[in-house]
Amino acid sequence: MTTVTTPLPDLHEKPVESSAHRFFHSYLFQKTLKALFTAWVVITLTFFLIRLLPSNPVELFIQDLMVQYGMPYHEARDQAAALFAIDLSRPLPLQYLDYMDGLLHGDLGTSILSPGTSVSSIILRFLPWTIFSVGIALMLSFTFGIMLGLFMAYHREGVMDHILTVLASILSSIPNYILGILLIIFLGVRWGIISVAATRGTLSPGVEPSLSIEFFKDALFHAALPITTYVLTTIGSWMLTMKSSTISVLEEDYVTVAKAKGLKEGRITSTYVGRNAALPMFTLLTIAIGFVVGGSVLIETIFQYQGIGYILLQSVNKRDYTVMQGVFLVITMSVIVANFFADILYSWLDPRIKLGRQE
Amino acid sequence: MSNESQQVVLKHEAGSGTPLTLRNVSVAYKTRKGDVQAVRDVSLDLRAGESIALIGESGSGKTTLGLSIVRLLVKSAQVTNGEIIYRRNGKEIDVLGLNKKELREFRWKECSMVFQSALNAFNPVIRIWDQMKDTAQSHGWKDKKAIRQRSLELLKFVQLDAERVIDAYPHELSGGMRQRVLIALSLLLDPQVLILDEPTTALDILTQRTIIDLLRKLKEEQHFTMIFISHDLAIAAELADRIATMYAGRVVEVGSADDIFYRPRHPYTLGLIRAVPKVVGDFQELFSIPGSPPDLIDMPSGCKFHPRCPYATDKCRQEEPDLVPVGPEHMAACWHWREVEKELQSKPLHSIS
Repeated sequence: MTTVTTPLPDLHEKPVESSAHRFFHSYLFQKTLKALFTAWVVITLTFFLIRLLPSNPVELFIQDLMVQYGMPYHEARDQAAALFAIDLSRPLPLQYLDYMDGLLHGDLGTSILSPGTSVSSIILRFLPWTIFSVGIALMLSFTFGIMLGLFMAYHREGVMDHILTVLASILSSIPNYILGILLIIFLGVRWGIISVAATRGTLSPGVEPSLSIEFFKDALFHAALPITTYVLTTIGSWMLTMKSSTISVLEEDYVTVAKAKGLKEGRITSTYVGRNAALPMFTLLTIAIGFVVGGSVLIETIFQYQGIGYILLQSVNKRDYTVMQGVFLVITMSVIVANFFADILYSWLDPRIKLGRQE
Repeated sequence: MSNESQQVVLKHEAGSGTPLTLRNVSVAYKTRKGDVQAVRDVSLDLRAGESIALIGESGSGKTTLGLSIVRLLVKSAQVTNGEIIYRRNGKEIDVLGLNKKELREFRWKECSMVFQSALNAFNPVIRIWDQMKDTAQSHGWKDKKAIRQRSLELLKFVQLDAERVIDAYPHELSGGMRQRVLIALSLLLDPQVLILDEPTTALDILTQRTIIDLLRKLKEEQHFTMIFISHDLAIAAELADRIATMYAGRVVEVGSADDIFYRPRHPYTLGLIRAVPKVVGDFQELFSIPGSPPDLIDMPSGCKFHPRCPYATDKCRQEEPDLVPVGPEHMAACWHWREVEKELQSKPLHSIS
């Protein structure tokens, strides 16, 4: 009888505790450092780019006064100077340093056009609505997109697959603002199913945020059109990506082995096919979160939904530099934070990626 | 490796009779160019406790035949003809007639399959333990403790550090370890028939040895009924009681391992044996079979081997020979098997062994 002596590789190598510890810390450290650097670059770029826009808030205000009230230029300028306590003639680098100093202290500054209102209070007032509508929309389109994609892959080349594939391609190729306008025209005007005027804004007059069903109903009513638009324009790409991901997983040996093992169909679909096919989707999801926040500008304007995107457009039109900076910062941070979570989530879902974490 | 792990003894009932019979099985793949006749008219009896090797070049239909037994053929392939009969405890099951549920229960419990590429045989996102538990639970085991007990026992049997391996993720194991885990997994439900599709092909030579020793242990100590699919004659020689040579989807010769190796009667089998270099003895020029396997959509007329066969005559070009007895328990499908016999008498194979 031959004796078999195969040395077993150490499965859970246990290096000296402190070095493992250090690695874990250095990984997080590196990630954080990268995130901070990205944030700094974007903040700096937006700061200067915003100021490269033609005109500035005071000029625009002066022009406004001149056009609307027929004031002569010097009168309008005096009024503007009295209203705005900012000095735009200060050298840019100094303004930049002031801004960065404020940021480091957690101060986003105050709105130029509504003196006395801090940028953070504006963001805190409008951001939750964007998170609410975009969050629900993403969850819906992700969940249904993945399920439909899985379904399409299982029935590929079938009638339903062909129909859904065409539908998904069409949906994912329509820009969301076009679809938004179409919804208003057809649902609101032509067919009169929804009163567009009533859905404007984030809440009906008189409804206050509270933990009541009325509040949620009203909030959903107002968010329904933006949510529908987001879902319809994003679900197509989830379906198509999930379909192709599933098709490649279905060809994996472990799926054949699972069948050979006589596993139940449901178990194979969920744990063997679904879980592996959905893995890359989660990375895409976190990236999508970042982009949808930025992409809400047009949709919120079309539906007059007062979220962060709506505010961004307002402040761009009036060149309210500080508010613009604040909103861009939020968008940047949401992309960065989402990416950060993508890494952590992925390592949690896929044991092959471990972030250097030790047992 | 500790001695303890070597002493694990499995309780396996080898059974008796003929667990598996293939009768005139044909399998075709539908393609745009036409039907690919991957398996043609194969009849085989698998006796309890014996191991049979299917050998032949790539594309000769070995794997397709193996997959058709557990009905895991891809959708484009279909068993176009024939019967697969499985027997246990005097009951006969028509494998091709099983419905979905019966088929699911038949798989792995009665007949399990060890696949060629164990590297990808495991779901990468769940632990080995979960994959073993999955399998047992799908077949009605409820007692988790018993499942774990059995799994650990099997992992020890395949000479792995069971406690560690069972909680590992697949990517934490080497190729050879995964192959052994797959073998352990294939024994989990104590199936009557074990199909091994090229169990050593993807492994390095030392790991191959480990797996072969392990399989020999299964054969000699546990008397498992096994079907080996291999293109490696040396492994077939070591592990099989009987060997069936396949060419262009047909079994062209079948006999005991000794018959096939010392008294081949089909020119193709002879060619395969001569194509293997010998480790001992004088340097001999290696023989290779000229030409390549036939196009399975548009096959040559008559004997499918005739374009590559040194014995081919007009008869071979026109008529396909059937398997005929060429010795006790030894069949070959060749018009000229007597000439092969004569040639071997003048130029015997394996003069050293």
